[in-house]
This record gives sequence, C-alpha cells and structure tokens, in this order.
Amino acid sequence: MAKVIQPFDPKDVVAHPEAYFRRAYVWQVPVRLTHWVNALCVTVLFLTGLYIASPILAPSGEPAHHFVMGRIRQIHFAAGIIFVISFLVRIYWFWAGNNYARSGFPFVWRASWWRDLFRQATDYLKLERGHVHLGHNALGGSAYTFFVIFLGWVQIFTGLALYSETNPAGTLNKLFGWVIPLLGNSYRTHMIHHLVAWAFPIFALLHIYIVTYDSTQYGNGLITSIISGYKFYRQGDIRNDEWLS
Amino acid sequence: MNNLSSLSTYDVLRQHGVDRRDFLRFCVTTAAAMGLEASMVPTVVAAMETKPRIPVIWLHGLECTCCSESFIRSSHPIAQDIILNMISLDYDDTLQAAAGFQVEAIRKKLIKDHPGGYLLAVEGNAPTKDGGVYCTVGGDTFLNVLKETAEHAKAIVAWGSCASNGCVQAAHPNPTGAMPVHKLITDKPIINVPGCPPIAEVMTGVLTYILIFDALPELDRIGRPKMFYGQRIHDKCYRRAFFDAGQFVESWDDDGARKGWCLYKMGCRGPTTYNSCSTFKWNNGVSFPIGSGHGCIGCSEAGFWDNGPFYQRLSNVVVPGIDATPNTIGEVLGAAAVIGVGSHLVSTVVRQNARKIHVDDTPPADSKGE
Ligand code: HEM
Ligand code: HEM
Ligand code: SF4
Ligand code: SF4
Repeated sequence: MAKVIQPFDPKDVVAHPEAYFRRAYVWQVPVRLTHWVNALCVTVLFLTGLYIASPILAPSGEPAHHFVMGRIRQIHFAAGIIFVISFLVRIYWFWAGNNYARSGFPFVWRASWWRDLFRQATDYLKLERGHVHLGHNALGGSAYTFFVIFLGWVQIFTGLALYSETNPAGTLNKLFGWVIPLLGNSYRTHMIHHLVAWAFPIFALLHIYIVTYDSTQYGNGLITSIISGYKFYRQGDIRNDEWLS
Repeated sequence: MNNLSSLSTYDVLRQHGVDRRDFLRFCVTTAAAMGLEASMVPTVVAAMETKPRIPVIWLHGLECTCCSESFIRSSHPIAQDIILNMISLDYDDTLQAAAGFQVEAIRKKLIKDHPGGYLLAVEGNAPTKDGGVYCTVGGDTFLNVLKETAEHAKAIVAWGSCASNGCVQAAHPNPTGAMPVHKLITDKPIINVPGCPPIAEVMTGVLTYILIFDALPELDRIGRPKMFYGQRIHDKCYRRAFFDAGQFVESWDDDGARKGWCLYKMGCRGPTTYNSCSTFKWNNGVSFPIGSGHGCIGCSEAGFWDNGPFYQRLSNVVVPGIDATPNTIGEVLGAAAVIGVGSHLVSTVVRQNARKIHVDDTPPADSKGE
C-alpha cells in the first residue's frame, strides 16, 4: 500500500496522540561511538585472528624482506588494544550515561525483566509486531551482555595474557599472566581464545539480522538509532521500558 | 658413604683426578648458564671449593628414567664426574650399587641423620588411585615413600614433566590417578624443572644454584626457575625470522622444509612452550628438535600430551567429549546460526505476504477514529 504523506496538523496530534510517531534521543555519543569502534575492531580481530592460526600467504625470497605474519599480528594487537579501550569507555558510560545506557543489564532479580525476556522471544517466534522499547529489550540486553561483555572479557583476558608472553618480566604479565596457569597452559589459552573468537561472527549475524528485522517490522528507526541516536515510538510504547527503573 | 657428604665438590673432583683448569672451566660455564655476571664466577668457585655438598635423596616413581639419562649426559666433557660429585647422591635406587633392603635402610637412615638437611630430588610421580598400588618401591607404595621422605626434606626438586606436571601417565584419562609432586606435598619449597627430559645444563644449573646460594632460584608462578623457563622456545628460535615473514613449511618434503622455514604450520609448539632448548640446545649444543627440522612438541608444558595431534597447529582439545578443532566447532555453530536466521527470514516473508501487513499500512491519517 502506498504511503500517504499527511500535512502536519498540531490539533490532530493533540486529538489523536496514539497515531503519531515521536522521536526520542536514546543513544548518547559514547554509546554510538563505542558501538562502531567495537564492531570494527571485532571484525578485524576475528579475521586477523583466524589468519594468525592458519596463515596462507607465503612470500618467497629472503625473510628479511617480508613481514606478513608479523604485520597481521601487529594489526590484531592494535585492534585488540583499541577494543579494550573502547570496551572500558562503554563500561564507564554504563554509570555515567542515561538510563538507556544501562538498559542492557540483565536484571535477573526482577520479575518484570523475565516477563520482558519471554515476551520478546515469543514475539520474534510468532513473527508479530511486538512491543517497542526505547532502550534494549531484555533479550537483546542478554545477548549483548553474554556475547560482547562476558565473552569480550574472556577475549581480553586471554588475549592480553597471550600478548604478555613476549615479555614475561613485564607489567602486563604481572597483570594478566596468571590467566595461563589458570586455564592449564599457554596452548590451551590459545585454543580457548580461538574457540571463543567464533562467538563474535555468530553474534554479529544474529544481531544484524535482528536489528534489521526490528527496524522493518516495528518502524522504529532502530538501525539509524545507532548512528543518529534517535529512536521513534508511539504513545504507549514507552511503557515497555518500565521494568528498567 | 656418609663422611662423603662433608667433602666439598672440589675435594671430590680432585680425588677423581679432575684438574683445576677443568674445574674452573666448569664453574665459568655453569655461572654463564645460570645467567650470572662474570663477577660472580669467584663466588661459584668458592662455593664449590668450600661448601660441603648437599646430601641428596633421589627418588624414582612412575617414570621412564629419561631425566637421569639426560643428567648423566651433561654436555660438559667432565660432566659425569662433576655432576655426580657436585651433590652427595646418597640414595638413588637406579644409579647406586646397593640393592634391596640395604638401599631402603640407607634412605631411612639418611632421613634420620639429616632431618631438614637433605634435598629431595623426585623423578617421576605418584599414582594415587586404589591406595597408590600402581607404583611400589621396596614393598611400599611410592606415594608413601614420597610423603615419608618429603617430610624432613629441606626442599624438593621435581625433575622433569612427570614430577612437575604429570606428563604421559597423567594424560587423559589418567587411569592411575598420577599426580605431580606439588599436588601431593604442599608444605615444602618445591622447584619444578619440567621437560621430557629437562636439559642436562638446566638440571646442573639448578643444583649448582642451590649449592652456591643455599636457596632456591627465583621461581615463576608455577614454580619453575625463571632463569631457565623465563622465555618461550619461539622467542629465541633461530627460525623466528621466517615466522614473522610468513614463510612456513607446509609438508615435510617441500621447498620450505629444505630452506629451513618456520615449522608453525607443522604443529610446532614453540610459541606456547617455556624452555631453554633454543638457547642451550641438546647433546653438547649439537642441535635441538627445531634445528633438526621437527617442530617442538611442547614437552615441558603441563598437559602437553593432551594437546595433540602434534603435527597440527590447532588441536582437538577444547571441549571435552567433542573431538574437533575450534574452527570446526565454530563453523558448525555458525552454520546453525545461518540456518536459524534464514528460516526466520523465510517464515517472515511468507507470513507477511499472506497477511499483507506493512508497516506503512497505518499512516497517522488513516488511523483517525479507529
Ligand atoms: C552493520 C553492522 C551493525 C549494525 C547495523 C548494528 C546495529 C545496532 C543497533 C541498531 C543497536 C541498538 C540495538 C537496540 O536498541 O537494542 C546495536 C547495539 C549493539 N551492537 Fe550493533 N550493529 C552492527 C554490528 C555490530 C557488531 C559487529 C557488534 C559486535 C561487537 C555489535 C555489538 C553491539 C552491541 C554490544 C550493542 C549494544 C550497544 C550498547 O548498549 O552499548 N554490533 N547495534
Ligand atoms: C573479539 C576479540 C578477539 C577475537 C575474536 C580474537 C581472535 C583471535 C584468534 C582467532 C587468534 C588465533 C588463536 C590461535 O589459534 O592461536 C588470536 C590470537 C591472539 N590474540 Fe586475539 N582475538 C580477540 C581479542 C584479542 C585481544 C583484546 C588481544 C589483546 C591484545 C588479543 C591478542 C591475541 C594474541 C596475543 C594472540 C596470539 C598471537 C600469536 O600467537 O601469534 N586478542 N586472536
Ligand atoms: S619453528 Fe616453532 S619456535 Fe621456531 S619460529 Fe617457528 S613456530 Fe616459533
Ligand atoms: S624443543 Fe620442545 S619438545 Fe623438544 S625438548 Fe625442547 S621443549 Fe621439549
């Protein structure tokens, strides 16, 4: 059906508030910035990480003239450090930011959080236009917390521990070196770092699909929200964020 | 045998006809191996000349004797003399001439005569299942012998991977419940000297240090002497330039193998193994595995037997019960996610076409009066 563009009539808005979309500023700059920095870093980390495990380019000639593996590792480490910084900024913003910045937290002790989780899951399965949130819904929040925050910590700790191996007398080793004996040995730490790496593209696939689905199904401007910061909602929708406070 | 303990290393060497020049050469080599400055050489010499040798009880548990084999083949020309004389090896059931009850009596007597004064060297480990019956020495379980001898020891040297981290007998599923020394004895200073076997120079270096300074050398988090296990094979490997360049051997007979490229893709465990092989090498500095074209198998690392196959960069060890590499597991889960997303997408499209629902169906004006 064709879209009908109506001239804007303020009186009509007052008379029929439920019919109009409103705009809310949800994602503050640090949330959006860290989102894209993380997305970029994780993509680079996954691709360079797989390359480190199975290098395929084989330059010929004297080794002194090449630095292929070395360069890929450097890129991995640089992306790793940027990821760590961005990650910490986002965690700081959990406290410093607005309420929406905290909306991804799994409030497992609140019945309202569990209700929201269940409702969101069934909405997706029933393929119905569900309720709209301004912040994260409980399902999305759980996914971010598990995949990005929890597994992000795993990658950061194992990654920095592996990185610190090049200088066992250094400060980084004092801070993170204990991870290696905890996980058994250095080889096992590599394997765990490698296995967990796969969680990120799997998350990205589900995540990008779901935000696209939400955006098209709910018409709430979800995708653009992580660029512009604004989400759209209709009267009533906002009640769905009540479990937050 | 007992009065031998009061002689210094130098005294004993002289008795064995080692001349002073060879003796000094040994002191310099040992000091260098321990990473001591040249100015410390006189300290080493003085200690060897004056300090009475430490009485040592050397136990053999569940093991293959490769540590002893390595030890008695120390690379220095007069090694046999020096090493076996540097310590007062008063009990070693494998090397000593006495046998049977006589030998066990010596051990018990040593414990009584030198309480808190002898060093306990342990080669091998103790099986703990079924009361420790899978390794018995002189009619008693090795578990008991170990505990009994450890009780009055000054310190314990855990030789090799068996004693320091379990090695092959503790590999999955560890049928005899073999446990490394530090899991059985917790109230004594223990120095772990892993390797299957450890390098002879490392073994003598550790003993010399204890002899000279009357203390254990500085240990890392898991009880290994930092001076010998402070760095990975990979960090000192002469093939490292090929690693950084990205030049890897792809099969044992390819051009890269002939050119001496990096063995990473052939499963080399150098990047995850702490040992001195790439520094000291083996057999009088002749070579070491990587020098001979074979990757490191990580023999000094905890659980290295469970990190196989050795000729594969990624092993099948991550999830117990699932025999697949991380990449295979990731690909399977990834495919499952693609299928999940794909079927959701298809159902959505099918359902929407059926229902003809569009988001734009309800522009504000249309919904007036609803
Ligand atoms: C083209 C790619 C991507 C798009 C379009 C996209 C879009 C979005 C959108 C719209 C949100 C807000 C969702 C909501 O309201 O609940 C979001 C949040 C999030 N996305 Fe992405 N995303 C992309 C890639 C990624 C990747 C690769 C990662 C992996 C690390 C990622 C991690 C996250 C996280 C952690 C959040 C929560 C944000 C926060 O609270 O800080 N995104 N993304
Ligand atoms: C989402 C985050 C990350 C992903 C997906 C990832 C992925 C990977 C993968 C697949 C490998 C190869 C593992 C192997 O088979 O040996 C690897 C290696 C490594 N990663 Fe990461 N990584 C991440 C974060 C980090 C971080 C934050 C650091 C810290 C600087 C880091 C440091 C390392 C190091 C030191 C290695 C070993 C390189 C080598 O042995 O040459 N990684 N990473
Ligand atoms: S051969 Fe092994 S230890 Fe040497 S550089 Fe290659 S991976 Fe590292
Ligand atoms: S190179 Fe590796 S496998 Fe070989 S002896 Fe040294 S640590 Fe053990």
